[in-house]
Amino acid sequence: MASRSANIATKDSTRQAIGAGFLLEYNPENRSQRLEEACEKILELNPDGQGSYGGVHQEKITVNGSENWRTTTDNSFESLKLDDIEKIASVGGIADYNITTVPTAVKQANFERIEDADADQTYDFQGVALIGNRDMSMDANVLSGNVAILEGRMITKDDTNVCVISEELAEKNQLEVGDYLQFHSVEAEEPVQEATIVGIYLVKEQMEPYMSGDTYRSENIIFTDLHFPEKVEQDDPLYETAYFKVANVDDYDAVKEAIKKVDVNWQWYDLIDNNGNLDTMASNFNDLEKISNTLLLVVTGASFVILFLIFIFWIKNRTNEIGILLSLGIAKGEILLQILSEAVLIGVLALALSFLIAPAVSNAGADYLVGQQAGQAELQDEMDAGKVATDYQAPDLTVTNVETEITSYMLLIDSLSVGVLIGLSTCAASVLIFRKNPKDILSEMS
Amino acid sequence: MILEAKNVLYSYKSKRDKIVLKNVSATFEEATFYAIVGSSGSGKTTFLSLLAGLDHPVSGNILYGGEDIRKKGLNYHRRHNVSLVFQNYNLIDYLTTEENVKLGGRKNAGELLREVSIFREDWKRNVLQLSGGQQQRVAIARALASEAKVLLADEPTGNLDEDTAQDITEILKESAHKMNKCVVVVTHSGELAKQADVVFRMKNGELQVLERIDDSSAQPRS
Repeated sequence: MASRSANIATKDSTRQAIGAGFLLEYNPENRSQRLEEACEKILELNPDGQGSYGGVHQEKITVNGSENWRTTTDNSFESLKLDDIEKIASVGGIADYNITTVPTAVKQANFERIEDADADQTYDFQGVALIGNRDMSMDANVLSGNVAILEGRMITKDDTNVCVISEELAEKNQLEVGDYLQFHSVEAEEPVQEATIVGIYLVKEQMEPYMSGDTYRSENIIFTDLHFPEKVEQDDPLYETAYFKVANVDDYDAVKEAIKKVDVNWQWYDLIDNNGNLDTMASNFNDLEKISNTLLLVVTGASFVILFLIFIFWIKNRTNEIGILLSLGIAKGEILLQILSEAVLIGVLALALSFLIAPAVSNAGADYLVGQQAGQAELQDEMDAGKVATDYQAPDLTVTNVETEITSYMLLIDSLSVGVLIGLSTCAASVLIFRKNPKDILSEMS
Repeated sequence: MILEAKNVLYSYKSKRDKIVLKNVSATFEEATFYAIVGSSGSGKTTFLSLLAGLDHPVSGNILYGGEDIRKKGLNYHRRHNVSLVFQNYNLIDYLTTEENVKLGGRKNAGELLREVSIFREDWKRNVLQLSGGQQQRVAIARALASEAKVLLADEPTGNLDEDTAQDITEILKESAHKMNKCVVVVTHSGELAKQADVVFRMKNGELQVLERIDDSSAQPRS
């Protein structure tokens, strides 16, 4: 029971510790459907099939003499809808939210990027990547603990034209907080946009590049305020993810239900539980809970059988005494009561012992599962190591301690269970002896 | 008449067709020492167990003070009306001599132990540390500790040497004659039977009087 309660406590406290939230992304499967619908709409509006609708553009092209259709999308099609994000953010229980843009390739105007001479730059933009955030503290890289501020501060929702650069980039260009960086789009050198450096970050592990080439290499990732990338790119914003932070983790499930009721087209979106490694942990702990429950049943059943056999053996060994007491005129009920009292006394001692040992056993069990969880997370990291794209980094979570406690409720339930178990098994075992009459018992003794 | 068997018929549950006791009747008086003899399997121990209320007859009655013992219950009968002594002593092996005697009733255990010649140094000893004869004395002391007016003994000297058996017989006789108890002993011992006031013979489930000192004390009826 202690193990069972330990896992629940740990699950909740862990969620509280890392902060829980929801991640909103476009549903990739639904994207194809939306694309088809937009194309049909274009066809409906334009008899020749060429035109635009909802950020989807369709045109007829001739390649090597043959006619083909080319369909392209712009940021207005690919981006999460700001209205929808704000609707979700207004749900009660959401403390704050963040919007993160897709890593946007831009060209640097007044500084040099970090380059690897050996890297294949054939398809590279020769630039750097900007990641816009409404509130950088809720960026996935920050939440995961991979990115931390070395100097200065993070970007907040009230900032405009600011950026946070990597320590390597700062070092290479002798940049400091308060300096200005200039950017322009990949397509045109004008206009140039200027952002003030408000912070310098360091990473624990290199961020996975979005695409090949040094534009997206970890050191060249520059965090900016939400709208800066679109200003540089001179295009519509492209919001890739939105993160909604839950105020009180105890309300997590209720908030999730409330979000699902928000009037947005949920077919477009995926709402992802953002509990870091909690899902894995929760799964482990839920497993532990199931195991604990099964174990409780098995232990109860096995205890009954074992106690039953022990009491049969015990009572059988006391046949002599029972026979003597019966011959002295002591009623079967009184004898049974005496045997029960002795069994209960042993049970009380066993209970006291189990309550002394239970916290240590539960802690060991929970620690083992946390270790398993850490192992699984490590394994997952290794499996993910070769992947190029990274849309979401799970928080790097380490649980160092698991506490268990014996509550008075558990004491009561345990005592009652043990009492019932002893009572049932003693009575069941006693039936074998007491169904005989005293004469038969005394004959057996002879 | 304190105890009476009236037309007692008994057969084992598993073998109902084999009659162990055939309408046995007998009466027992206080201050009398009875012996029941008979060959093995004749039904004498079964008869004693019915008198003791350890089982009940298939038909017929066991009366104590003229009242069927089933009326107040067999437990009550064993607790208040009769006390038992067995061939194998039946002492509780984890208790001391004194504690075993106290199981029998409220009487002063020390005094009773002295009466059966168990000395003070043995009172606190575990009963298993005593000799067979001493254990039987303790068993008798336990039976005497009871307020019961009837003492029933099943082969009380069966496991004992001649001298010790004689001592035990003396104690039983004294219980009958000095303490005014009705003592009924089932025995194979001719020596013991010789010293009884009334001797019954159990043969093929029927009870006969072999010898009686005083005709008014017991009557064979089957």
